[in-house]
Amino acid sequence: MRLASLLGADPARSIHWLWPELKEIIWGVPASLVIFFALYKFGGPPAKKAMAARTERIRQQLDGAAAAKAQAETEAVDIRRAAGDIGAERVRLLAEADEQAANLLSEGRARLEAELVELDARADAEMASSSARAGDELRAEISRLANAATDRLLADGALDDAGQQDLIESFIQKVGANA
Amino acid sequence: MSDARIEGYARALFEVARAEGTLDEVEDELFRFARSYESSDALRSALTDEMVPAGKRQAIVEDLLGGKATSTTTQLVSMVVGSGRGRDLPAIIDQLVARASSAKNLAVAEVRSAVPLTADQQARLAAALANATGQQVNLKTIVDPSVIGGIVATVGDTVIDGSVRTRVEQLKSRL
Repeated sequence: MRLASLLGADPARSIHWLWPELKEIIWGVPASLVIFFALYKFGGPPAKKAMAARTERIRQQLDGAAAAKAQAETEAVDIRRAAGDIGAERVRLLAEADEQAANLLSEGRARLEAELVELDARADAEMASSSARAGDELRAEISRLANAATDRLLADGALDDAGQQDLIESFIQKVGANA
Repeated sequence: MSDARIEGYARALFEVARAEGTLDEVEDELFRFARSYESSDALRSALTDEMVPAGKRQAIVEDLLGGKATSTTTQLVSMVVGSGRGRDLPAIIDQLVARASSAKNLAVAEVRSAVPLTADQQARLAAALANATGQQVNLKTIVDPSVIGGIVATVGDTVIDGSVRTRVEQLKSRL
């Protein structure tokens, strides 16, 4: 019925508000198929290739971005580590500087103490030497003066006859007392 | 000279003096002469110089001792010097003195003083030394100015030094 209605209808008009003319369908469908085939046959590979290339480019971009990100993260880690190393180095340098300062201070103090002890000892030795030298000189001078005085006394005949007799009597008494 | 020869001369002098009966006097004179001989370089060189004839040396002895000592002493010294033994005169005389003292059972006590000792001092000193040494002594005194003062007594190996010289030396040494 439907076909009959179609056949009985005006050829200048479509028989259906949706469907085209039959001829058009008959010619149009194969033509469309041919076109589709041709599109598939000749347009598909370049399109597919283009899509693959685009996909590859996007993938490469993604990979590059991932690599850049990884590199950035590595650099960030390095930077953080370097920052940490710098801190540790700073601490180490400060500790080393403190230790060197303490050593210098300790060595300086010890050297000063040793020099003080040495200076004290040298001063004591010089004082003792000066004292001994002065004592020796004094003794020598006293001895010289005493010798000179003794010689002069004897030369002047300090022992008179009474003195001689006293000495002789003293000797006799002393020898006799020692019996 | 050997000890034996000195001993021989000493014994000869001792026997001569004893035979003459002047042993004590001769011994004392010889002792004094020996000390003078030791202290006088001129006398020593005159009596020991072999270039001087023996007669001249004996004449020197006789000039020195003539009238001051007994003839026995002078003759004995002259004999020793004439025989060329002048150099050993002190040793011979010391030996003689020791022999004479030993004969009298005495020890020789050589006493040096700056001034002469009186007879009383000599007697008391002899007694003191006898007490100190435990033996009687034959005191031989020598006037020695180098002693300065006091006395130095030598009995055998024992020296008792109370001289000013030694005290001065000790004082100088201590100073």
